[in-house]
Amino acid sequence: MRTVSKWILALGAAAAVSAGATSSWAQQTIRVGWTIPAEESKYWMMRRPAEFPSIGKTYNIEWTQFQGTAPMTQALAAGALDCATQAPLSLANGVVGGNLKAYIVAQHVFEKPGGFSVYWAVMDDSPIKTIADLKGKTVGISVIGGGTQGPFNLLLKQNGVDPARDIKLVEVGFAVSEDALRQGRVDAVNMNQPFAARAEAKGGTRKLFSLSQAMPNIVHILEACRADFVDKNPELVKTYVRDITSGMKKALANREETLKVVNEVLKAPIPVLETYLLKDNDFGRDPGAAPNFPAIQKMLDIYAETGMLPKLDVAQFKHPAIVAPLQ
Amino acid sequence: MMSPAALIRRAAPVLACIGLLALWQVASLALKNDSFPTAIEAIRAIPDILGDKESLINILASLRRMAIGFGLAVLASIPLGLLMGRSRGVAAFFNPLLMVIYPVPKAALMPIIMLWLGVGDITKTLVIFLGVSLPVIYHSFEGAKAVEEKMLWSGAAMGLSPAQRLVRIVLPAALPEILTGCRTGLVLALITMITSEMIARQSGAGNILFNALDMGQYDTVFAMIIIVGAMGICLDAIFERVRARLVRWSEPQFDIPLSFS
Repeated sequence: MRTVSKWILALGAAAAVSAGATSSWAQQTIRVGWTIPAEESKYWMMRRPAEFPSIGKTYNIEWTQFQGTAPMTQALAAGALDCATQAPLSLANGVVGGNLKAYIVAQHVFEKPGGFSVYWAVMDDSPIKTIADLKGKTVGISVIGGGTQGPFNLLLKQNGVDPARDIKLVEVGFAVSEDALRQGRVDAVNMNQPFAARAEAKGGTRKLFSLSQAMPNIVHILEACRADFVDKNPELVKTYVRDITSGMKKALANREETLKVVNEVLKAPIPVLETYLLKDNDFGRDPGAAPNFPAIQKMLDIYAETGMLPKLDVAQFKHPAIVAPLQ
Repeated sequence: MMSPAALIRRAAPVLACIGLLALWQVASLALKNDSFPTAIEAIRAIPDILGDKESLINILASLRRMAIGFGLAVLASIPLGLLMGRSRGVAAFFNPLLMVIYPVPKAALMPIIMLWLGVGDITKTLVIFLGVSLPVIYHSFEGAKAVEEKMLWSGAAMGLSPAQRLVRIVLPAALPEILTGCRTGLVLALITMITSEMIARQSGAGNILFNALDMGQYDTVFAMIIIVGAMGICLDAIFERVRARLVRWSEPQFDIPLSFS
């Protein structure tokens, strides 16, 4: 009987030790949301973990892929994710509608001057020559109420077009934009890479206006982490941000390998990626993955001006120490 | 020597598939739409998917979740359906609940379940479980309800307890109907397996399908649709063979099977 009790005690102790170990290991795991495309630093971390000495040693990353940034905002607000890719609008919506408190710790892509800017295209022979000509037309946008709609609405208003009354706005995903335009289902539609490069190569379409006309340096996607998670695990998040910084450097320094990494993640053929990825006709990437807070503030102001959001201060997203670039 | 009529009957499913593919090919060539590749282009993309180790791991991960969700749903739903079919009290309690859940698209529950259970396998398995359980419960309920009272009276007269009557009389008698529910559930498991991976995923067939959709690789999208369809046909054919063996006694003598098996 005594022997049985000893065994039970020993098993209990072992269970307690292993539970402790599990919980300490669990603290060293970050649950990260990601999406496609344009997160090259994270793709490097996913596909070339050996290049990052901390991954798998001092901490682990549990990657979950999402369809767009909005569901990631919900997952962050619910505590199902610790860090995730966000668009400024989805993050702000999480703050306004979901009581999300988060820090912007890094930036993935933005619209660099002279680089690619999301644009609205029309057919070459279209009578639409200016933004004002869009009155009464059917216009495609990738996501109604999405991040591009703020600057889009602003440009329309500046040109005397009421986005709510003067046009018929329809949702057309980037992947099918070109088809919708060529088949006449829309009169104008927004284009993004790599689909823009493909459409341009085929010819027959022309650029009507681009978002950079509303403001330069538009931030498309950034990395945000839940504030409570950052406050509880500052060293862990620092290591993660350090790796994002390093991933961005690797992505920019070795384009050939980046093409392979992106090909593995997106399954897009390298010849397609070759046409735009990390070239002049691509989005901009800050070499240190540093968030452009003034540009994000400008975007929040545009969203407020166009009635998509109440006025928000970007300072609430800024952590005093944990922000890329971290060496 | 097989007669021409028998030969046509035997080859009918294959001929139907060829006809469908031919129709697809013609429609695609006529429409000249980048987002609608030809059947040949889609078929050409299949070896690339099935020859890629990572893609196979993804497909197997989905099938594993599907098997777990389907298995758990069958285990939970058959007893519940049988109890509902034989007890007015149980039926009165669960019926309104099921009627509310039944028409809700299970994929639409994903974001809510994700908030409660996180973004891992449990959420996706639960969505599959919900998708499968309702038809199985409904058919088990109908099967149990249709059991002749005389058989139950005989069982009671022979000293069988209510639980024994449920297992030894109601379950076998309702088996054809239960298996019909399971067959519907199997197809729904496949559908919910894919839709559960639409919003968030760590692995799965959805990785291949939805990534290809986002990147405008429509040959891969349609190839995945063919692969999922073929998986459905195979699973259904296997299940139909098992079902036919288990309930041969209840089959009509001249039956037209609605299956590839």
